Parts: sequence; C-alpha cells; structure tokens
Amino acid sequence: MEQFEGKDILEIMQTDLQRALKKPRKERRWAMAIDLKKCIGCHACTTGCMSENLTPPDIHYRPVKEEEIGEYPNTSMRFLPRPCMQCDSPTCTPVCPVTATYKRDDGLVVIDYNKCIGCRYCIVACPYGARSADSGHYYTGDFHDKTYEVENSGEYGKSFKRKSHWHSPIGNARKCHFCIHRVEKGELTRCTTTCLGGATFFGDINDPEALITKLISKLNVFRYREELGTKPMVYYIT
Amino acid sequence: MQLFGVLIPEKAQLMSTVNDVAKGRAGISLYASLFGLLIGFYAIAAIFIQGHAHTINTSNLVPWGLQISTYIYFALLSTGCTFVNFFGHLFFEKQYKPFASRIIFVGIITALAAFFSLATEMGRIDRMYNFILSPNPKSPMFWMGIWYTCYLIIITWEYINIQTNKHSSRIMWGAFFIAVFTHSTLGSLLGSVSSRVYYYSALMPIYFLFIAFLTGCSLTTIIAAITVKQKKLDENFHLHPFITLLKVGLGLALVISFWRTMIGLSAHLEGSEVFSLTLINSVLFGIVVVIIIPYILLKIGKSANWLLFVGLFIMGTQLKARNDLVVGAFKVPVFRVYDMPEVVHYTPSIYENLVVVASASLVMVLYIVFERSGVFDARNIKEDH
Repeated sequence: MEQFEGKDILEIMQTDLQRALKKPRKERRWAMAIDLKKCIGCHACTTGCMSENLTPPDIHYRPVKEEEIGEYPNTSMRFLPRPCMQCDSPTCTPVCPVTATYKRDDGLVVIDYNKCIGCRYCIVACPYGARSADSGHYYTGDFHDKTYEVENSGEYGKSFKRKSHWHSPIGNARKCHFCIHRVEKGELTRCTTTCLGGATFFGDINDPEALITKLISKLNVFRYREELGTKPMVYYIT
Repeated sequence: MQLFGVLIPEKAQLMSTVNDVAKGRAGISLYASLFGLLIGFYAIAAIFIQGHAHTINTSNLVPWGLQISTYIYFALLSTGCTFVNFFGHLFFEKQYKPFASRIIFVGIITALAAFFSLATEMGRIDRMYNFILSPNPKSPMFWMGIWYTCYLIIITWEYINIQTNKHSSRIMWGAFFIAVFTHSTLGSLLGSVSSRVYYYSALMPIYFLFIAFLTGCSLTTIIAAITVKQKKLDENFHLHPFITLLKVGLGLALVISFWRTMIGLSAHLEGSEVFSLTLINSVLFGIVVVIIIPYILLKIGKSANWLLFVGLFIMGTQLKARNDLVVGAFKVPVFRVYDMPEVVHYTPSIYENLVVVASASLVMVLYIVFERSGVFDARNIKEDH
C-alpha cells in the first residue's frame, strides 16, 4: 500500500472526502493529481473506469498515453493518464448551444444526457480530446447478447441504459466526470481506487488539510497544455 | 395575395408534371433527381433507423464529416444566391430581372437542403427544441440558429415580393445584411474553436462570406444559363453580369484562400503542422483547381453551354473544398493515444455520400417542378396582360 507520512493514501483521501462532503457544494473544488513517477502504465485506471461507467468500445474516459520525452540520446518514456481536465475555464461549455454541458458550482464539468442534441461541437472544442461521441457501438455487436452492455451505468447518479440509438447516452457526447455518482456517495473515483502504483490522488483543493492540496503545492507540478488558459483541475506531479 | 400559380405551383400544373413523370415525358433531369431523392431518402431512413454506428464513418477523431461539409456547402450556396440577388438588383437590374425569382427561390431551397443534411448528423435531432428551452447565448451555434431563422424568413419575404411584383429595396438590403450576419456567424462557429488551429482564425467568417459569394455565383450562373437557353434570351446581354460576378468571386476566393494558407503556415502552435500536411492539397486543389482553372475557363468561352460547364465545375470542386476544410481540422489528433494514427484519414460511408445526393436532388426536384409549373414566369405573364 502506498503511504504518505506513514498512512495509507487511500485512507487519507477517504477521510478527506468525508470532510469535503460535509461542506456545502459550492465550497468544494474537486481536483485530481497524478504522480507520473509512480504511474507504471498498467491501464488499471482505464479498465476500472470502463467497467464503472460501462463505456462502449470507442470511448475511453481515461486513456493512458505512452510518450517519449526529450531528444535523442537524452530520451525517456513516461505514461500520461488523461481524464477530463475539469477545466476552470472550459472551452467545451460555452460552445454548447443548449447548455447541455456546464460547469457545476463545485467546478465539475458535466453533461446533461437528457438535453444533449449530439452536435459534437464540444468534442471539436476540447483541446485535450477528452470528449467522445457515443455513436452506439457495442462490444458484442448487434446479433449477440448485449445484456451487460445495456445495464444502467449510473453515471451522474441517474439511470441510463444504452438499449438503442434513441436511448441516451447513445447519440450524446460523453466524458469523464470524476465518478461524481461515486463521490457523492462518499466513494473515491474508480481510477483512484484501482491505481496499482498509487499514482492517482483525488480530493477537494479548497481544503488546505487535504492530501491533494499538499501534493499540488509542491514545485514539481504541471498542468497539461496550461498555456491554453483553460486552467485544468488535473495536476501532474513529475 | 395570390398563392397558387404565383408563389407555389397550381394543382393542375402539378398534376400535369406527375402525369409527365408517369408517362415518361418528364425529361432526364427530373428522373435523375427523383432517383437521387429516392436513394437519398433510403440512406436517411437507414441513418435514423440503424443509427450512426452502422451508417456513418465519423468517429471521436473525426467528429464532423461529410454531412457537416454538405450542410456548410448548401448554406453557402444559399447565401451566395442572396448576394447575387442583391448585386443583380443593384447593378444589373434589366439583365438580372428574368432570373430574380428563380435565384431567390433556389436560395430558399438550398437553405432547406442544408438543414436536411445537418439533421442526419445530429446525434439526437429529436431534442432540437432545447435551442428554445435551454439556449446558450455564448454559443456561436445558438446564434447561428437564431440568424438562420431570420434569414429564412427574410429571403422567403423577398421571394414573395419578387413574385407579387412588390419588390422592396428595404427587404432586399435586409436580406443581404442578415445573410452576411448569418453566414459570418457560421464562419465564427469554426473560427472561434481555439483548440483546432486549422479553424481558429478571425479570417474564417470572412472566408465563409467570400466562398459563399463564389459558390452562389456558380449556382446562379447555371440557373441563368439554363433559363437563357430555355427562354431563348440574348446570351450576351443576360449572362454578362454573371460572368462579371463570377470573376469577382474568384478574385475574392483567391485572396482569402491564399492568406488563410499563408497565415496558417506561419503558425507555431501545437497542431499547426496540419497546414504543412495539407499544403499540397491547399495549393494544387484549393487554389489552382478551384480558382485558377475556372478563371481560365471563363476566359475561354462565354456561351450559355460553356458557362453551364464552368458553373458545374466550380460547384463540384467547391464541395470537395468544403469537405477538405471541415475534415482538415481533424487530421492531427489533439491527444494521440493507443493505436491512433499520426495523421487521421476519413472516408465517408456510402450513406454519407447519399445524404449529399439527397440534398442536391431535393434542390433539383423542387426547382424543376416549380419551373415546369411556370411559377417563375407568372409575374411576366401578368405584366404582359
């Protein structure tokens, strides 16, 4: 078990989460930190996310990029998991013509599946490629048993079953929502709990005592494509 | 206000056209467009019944494909018709008069054909009412919807005015300015997307207006050439304005295409390599084939048949150019992971191609039926009496 100051990080984050949930929603600010030195590229977060949100074959809320950094001969490999950045100044929400995607008062950028018209403008506008269109693909194809694939994913704490292309979220834009359906029940995000290397941290950065706040206050932290001015809420620790 | 025979065909005229179709006397163009409409409807039905997953080749890497390109293409054609109607009335009144109602009518039906294509691209078209229930004034797409509605209303008004011999300069000027706002908003829809360097540019709204003018000129030249032949009008006198406008359109398109490419090439932003990747296509196709060759063709001949060919050539090449523009932005993925290619290629499915056929056929069928019914000449007949 990964530890921080002698305590299990999952236990610390769980305590932080309970403390955050006691505050009014607008006083919370959910964020994620990913320690790239600890990420071993096992893709457990990707598969954990897929099983949690029952995402179809062409949709990954949290892919892991394997990238080469530096120039030969001074090169090295690193793994870069990419959830939705939950930007503080998102480029995806202003373009939505029907306000189906918006920023909540706790900073989370969410999609109202019952409102989305499937124009894909937000997918085009996201500079991180974090949004996907659910076109209605199934792992099992059309002529097989799709019982598992039409189960309720419980995203956003609501019931959504992909029974046909007229049932949301098919036809909608989809993205990572920091497992808000779990978080609001007092559970950590699925990617945080499945991370083998203990590289993913989640919590409320408005809480100075939270583990994530302590981690991102260090110098060796960057945010992906920060120059775009989107103010991402995902911090990478190097 | 007289509706039948002036604004829309009379029942007797429609029945006559139906009889002609049934008896094999309708002419090849009407049969071809009816066939196109039939297979187009089949494709649209398939898209709605089977869903996007089984019919459309767009993906998360290429979220907008041929249907959006077709939408933009027809929207620009419609704008172009409104521009030509404006400049025609303003500078070439006598030469332009026989074509006025035809051109503004085509402006209306191309706008409808644009929506036709757009409808098949939307993931949940049944929720379009959210534009009214839950509007987002920050979104260019929302404003596009508002302007488009105004645009359709005013060009329909312009059509009614022309057909009822009550042409109003105010409505004509209004239609022109609303067309400018509507289609520059459409340009801003792409131009304001900062994450896609290929789109992101203040030039984009102007680019859309200039290209709209060119494509509109080509379509109206075709209409004028056909009408001149059918009505045995003086070719030199009546086609001269269209040649002039086409040359202006080609010049404007050259300026904007050249600078858009040059400014794009000078960018050093993440993703701006797309301008280098598409440079050969941008120069050889986007400038030489789309602009220079039509200009040379215009210099070669000025007969109605030749102008018909030149118009069709520009329209055909512009459809590919619109697809290059829309899809070009997705050539380099913003976040490359797993087995994503370094350069993304997109080939439209047969269903997507048939949506183009459906939209084009819709325009052709409506135009031919109205033309055969004598609606466009109703005003001239009344004047003669």
